[in-house]
Amino acid sequence: MVLTWAVIGKMTQRDPLPDGTMRHSRRRVLRVGALLALGGTVPSLTGCEPFNREPPPPDPLAPMVDEALALAAAYRDAATTHPTLASRLTPITEAHAAHAAELARITKVALPSATPTASTPADSDATLTGLRELERAAGESATQACLAAPAERAALLASIAAARASHLEALQ
Amino acid sequence: MNTRTPGARSAHAAALTAEYAAIWAYGPIGVRLTGPAQEAARDAEATHRRRRDTLVLRLTDAGDSLPADQAGYALPFPVTDEPSALRLAVEVEERTAGFWQAAVAATSGAERERALAALVDCAVRATRWRATAGITPLTTPFPGRTA
Repeated sequence: MVLTWAVIGKMTQRDPLPDGTMRHSRRRVLRVGALLALGGTVPSLTGCEPFNREPPPPDPLAPMVDEALALAAAYRDAATTHPTLASRLTPITEAHAAHAAELARITKVALPSATPTASTPADSDATLTGLRELERAAGESATQACLAAPAERAALLASIAAARASHLEALQ
Repeated sequence: MNTRTPGARSAHAAALTAEYAAIWAYGPIGVRLTGPAQEAARDAEATHRRRRDTLVLRLTDAGDSLPADQAGYALPFPVTDEPSALRLAVEVEERTAGFWQAAVAATSGAERERALAALVDCAVRATRWRATAGITPLTTPFPGRTA
């Protein structure tokens, strides 16, 4: 952390050019690069570089919005293909859609208007097996996201991880 | 790791009171159940006892004062038969989940991992109890969230 701020301090120093304008010293820029490489802090700094106007890094939870929408789509499609499973699958579809909405709210990502497509096996057992696998993987991603998240996001992610575990139980 | 932050300390103390109440509630629940449901109640009670013991140890190790267990807890409704026992089991797990969700936000690292595991366990047990009771839907969208 100390290194990070020291580096930012260096980055804002500039050298005057003969015409009176300012430019970054090449040597200094290279040194900054070396320090960054040593410190491994490049991702957290990309938004701070005054000479490199890259957009800020995407929110680490943004992919979870898509994941939740894809889950909702998979359940919706499965319920349409296998109407006998609909009463079990519909509440889970709604839960995934609610998760996507909450995740979009906290990440300030606009929910896409197009819904992802899903393909459901014709066999209902294979369908349930596929949904269980999706749910297990999604539970793992919510768990990892929860453990890595700042406090204000951890409660929501924990609840989503718990919901996904309970979906898995409901599909047994 | 974060047991000593005031937030983690009070969240753990609150979770302990929830675990005390859950253990107590599984007494009246268990006597109204038979067979596999009674077995599930025994298993759930043992899990709540383990979590209580872990919390007591951690709070004691950190030098914190322990909230007192009560001789009895007010039930939200009378437990007179199997359906009411199953309903209470659902409610106990849902309620305990809320305390662990709060503990997740108040902790980090291994402490958060433990709190999350407890929340997940409560949510899964609530789902099993709903299935046993024939309550649908089997799941809630945001386990632990108090409406």
